[in-house]
Amino acid sequence: MTATVTHAELARRGDRAAVPVAIVLLVLLPLILMPLAAVFVFAFRGGPDAFLGALGSREAQFALRFSLLIAFATAGINAVLGTYTAYVLSRYRFRGERPLGILVNLPVAIPTVVVGTSLLLLWGPIGLFGRLLEPFGLQPMFAPAGVLLAHLFVTFPYMLGAVKPVLDEAQETYEEAARTIGANRWQTFRWIILPALKGGLFSGALLTFAHSLGEFGATVLVSGNLRLRTQTAPLYIFAQFEAGNIAAANAVAAVLATLSFVIFFFLLRYTGRRSR
Amino acid sequence: MSIALDRVTKRYAGRPTVDGLTLDVPSGELFVLLGASGSGKSTILRLIAGLILPDEGTIRLAERDVTHLPPQKRDVGFVFQNYSIFRHMTVAQNIEFGLRIRGASRAARRERREELLDLVGLAGLGERFESQLSGGQQQRVALARALAYRPSVLLLDEPFGALDVKIRAQLRQSLREIQRTLGVTTILVTHDQEEAFELGRRIGVVDRGRLLEVGEPEKLYERPRSLYVATFLGAGTLLVGRCREHRVELGPLSLPIPDDVPHDEGDRVRVLIRPEQVALSAEKPPPGAAVLGRGEVVDQAFSGATRRTRVRLEPLSGVRQVVPPLPFGAENVLLEAAMPAHADAPPDRPWVALEAWHILRQPTPRLLVCDEGAGLSSALEIARPLVESLDAIATVLGVAPDSRRQDSLRQALAERAAQAGLPDATVRVRRGDPAEQIALEQREASYDFVIVGAGEMATRWGRAQSPGLGEDLAATLATPLVLARGRPRSPRNILICTAVGEPGKSDVRAGGWLARRLGATVTLLHVTLPDRTPLPYVRSHLERGVATLRELEVASRFSVREAESPIEGILAELREAPYDLVVVGAATGQARRSARGEPITRQVLRRSGCSVLVVPQGGW
Repeated sequence: MTATVTHAELARRGDRAAVPVAIVLLVLLPLILMPLAAVFVFAFRGGPDAFLGALGSREAQFALRFSLLIAFATAGINAVLGTYTAYVLSRYRFRGERPLGILVNLPVAIPTVVVGTSLLLLWGPIGLFGRLLEPFGLQPMFAPAGVLLAHLFVTFPYMLGAVKPVLDEAQETYEEAARTIGANRWQTFRWIILPALKGGLFSGALLTFAHSLGEFGATVLVSGNLRLRTQTAPLYIFAQFEAGNIAAANAVAAVLATLSFVIFFFLLRYTGRRSR
Repeated sequence: MSIALDRVTKRYAGRPTVDGLTLDVPSGELFVLLGASGSGKSTILRLIAGLILPDEGTIRLAERDVTHLPPQKRDVGFVFQNYSIFRHMTVAQNIEFGLRIRGASRAARRERREELLDLVGLAGLGERFESQLSGGQQQRVALARALAYRPSVLLLDEPFGALDVKIRAQLRQSLREIQRTLGVTTILVTHDQEEAFELGRRIGVVDRGRLLEVGEPEKLYERPRSLYVATFLGAGTLLVGRCREHRVELGPLSLPIPDDVPHDEGDRVRVLIRPEQVALSAEKPPPGAAVLGRGEVVDQAFSGATRRTRVRLEPLSGVRQVVPPLPFGAENVLLEAAMPAHADAPPDRPWVALEAWHILRQPTPRLLVCDEGAGLSSALEIARPLVESLDAIATVLGVAPDSRRQDSLRQALAERAAQAGLPDATVRVRRGDPAEQIALEQREASYDFVIVGAGEMATRWGRAQSPGLGEDLAATLATPLVLARGRPRSPRNILICTAVGEPGKSDVRAGGWLARRLGATVTLLHVTLPDRTPLPYVRSHLERGVATLRELEVASRFSVREAESPIEGILAELREAPYDLVVVGAATGQARRSARGEPITRQVLRRSGCSVLVVPQGGW
């Protein structure tokens, strides 16, 4: 009974939906859809050979590999750090808990360029830590380590955001039950908490990965944009554009866009399955 | 596989949730902890499981001290109120979890799992997930999971709370069978009295973190010792009557008080009448029946097997009703009655007779002994003979100035109490101003006597211990207050000063009550001032006082003295005979000051070295 009413209702609304839907499409077309299409159109304008050739260059290859490597590392490290932080925030009550909760989410709100500058100020050759490290020949800035550092910083909240709600929701009595059954803290984590977190970990890691892949603002500052050393894919695209190599830039851009689509598709599928 | 708790205390924010709890459950027993929500019963269970650690006391499981062990080392099975079935595991994996942790082989795990699924009646459902189970099935899984690794004890926290009535009854039955088959020592926590009666071989009733009574269901229902248990378990009527010549008077009825219930002439005695012990009849019952009178049916309710009736009786003189509560201002007696539903409905104006009743034991006197933790310990020393001869329970209270010194004070108090011969006393430490905290403690736990040392007036406790404040304290406490002085022994000679004004009734009764239990003799003193002729009523008051004391079977005499002032009269009397306790009414002590404005209490303490009992008006 309810279902039929809803159907009729929807159908009636459908009749009137044409105009608003058209408006939305008109706005989105130049805003989102056309630029996305343009990437692929321009990438393949010279034919598949030109596309493959552009991708095959040493710099392009390095940039893509470096980006993937950093993205994997970032996702891996932040999976551990984020989960642990989420666990602490969700299980313990302590003074300064709220400020800490806000603080760890701050990287989302700070412009990435600002993150880059602050990292430079801290770790750069004349920075607070950088000065201490210099005598040992360690120089995180303008090196792969610096890029990783920047990406960890920028993407930290995504993991936390994906895992903490799951932990908050998981009943504390699960852990208590596991303890009374005989599991120690590690066994409880391994067998009870971790399996419950699987979904959150997966989507958090995907989000982190995707963001790391596209990170530009902080990377451009801390990496020094060094060819074949610290140049990530987005930096490569930017550099090629500036040099007038639109085709080379678009080829890598198309690959990045495709990767993002795939990740997005997985995320959608996963969250869709969970909500059902 | 026994469970033994010894004086276990758990505090939250300084207030005890579990308060000095001692409990012994022998191997193989199914014990039920029954209490209202917030009584601390779940906390007790969590303490046994090790999910929280006690502040004081020891917990032993199967003769092993587990007080400081983490939960996974205690070998308990715990069934949570919400079951907490692991959602990402199948039923089989849930049940096997404990065995897997213990490294059991796959074959052993499977065998045990099948055994348990059979036992709880879930055979064939091993591959299901939590979301595919009904509430009752989830409860069975939780039980099987808790039993899989053969724990030495099984703890169940409101296991049937979330289920509907019919399933509850089934599960209760099967739990009882399972427990009997396995013989595992079990404690079940519930707020449901029916559940407690059906499952428990013994029941412990918990209120405010204390175990009030432990016993078989029948005993707790028919012969409860405390008011709380009488009213918490089952329905009924609770009336308070006066004791006259070893009988309690309820209007036309006079019921004998059993010898094992200590009582005194004039005591208020509480009589519990269960609904099924009330007989309603159209005809006047034959002579010899315990007839309360003719009543009027005000309410009837049919509940399947029985019919519940409320009958209103005319007010009975000298009888006060506690339960069921009466509307404000009403003085009638309202009686709960129940009879089999198949019997004839009672007439509108039935004769009411009692077929049985239970007279509640007088509560054990409780003493609050305030001690500073250092210096003289007069309060502790006078408390010891009182505890012994009154068969009382003592609580030693210390007040720390700040939280840092709380623990050291608690330790000091425990040592001093043991030294003073009170090893069983509960030690309690509060924080803040002594006088305020003593008053607060009394308000929260209502003791029968408060004892404060009166020796060390220059100390931090000066305010609380100065007799002037002592009187204030007695008045705010509305409880008799002993100001202990010197090295007191068990009082043998008690002087009750009705020195000025009208002799208060409370002071004579409180002093007499004490004297009877201590085996002491009492002198009633009245002081007349030289320029006045003795008032005519004085003599009759004194005679009435002596009569009251005689009723209490206390050896007594009276003395009338002429003196310049009341205090001089009292001091003169004290010089003549070896008194060891002076009883004054709070009003007397406060209102009447000597010329120098010093309260009588303080002067007695300062000038005689005798302990003083201050009894507030109406405080006894």
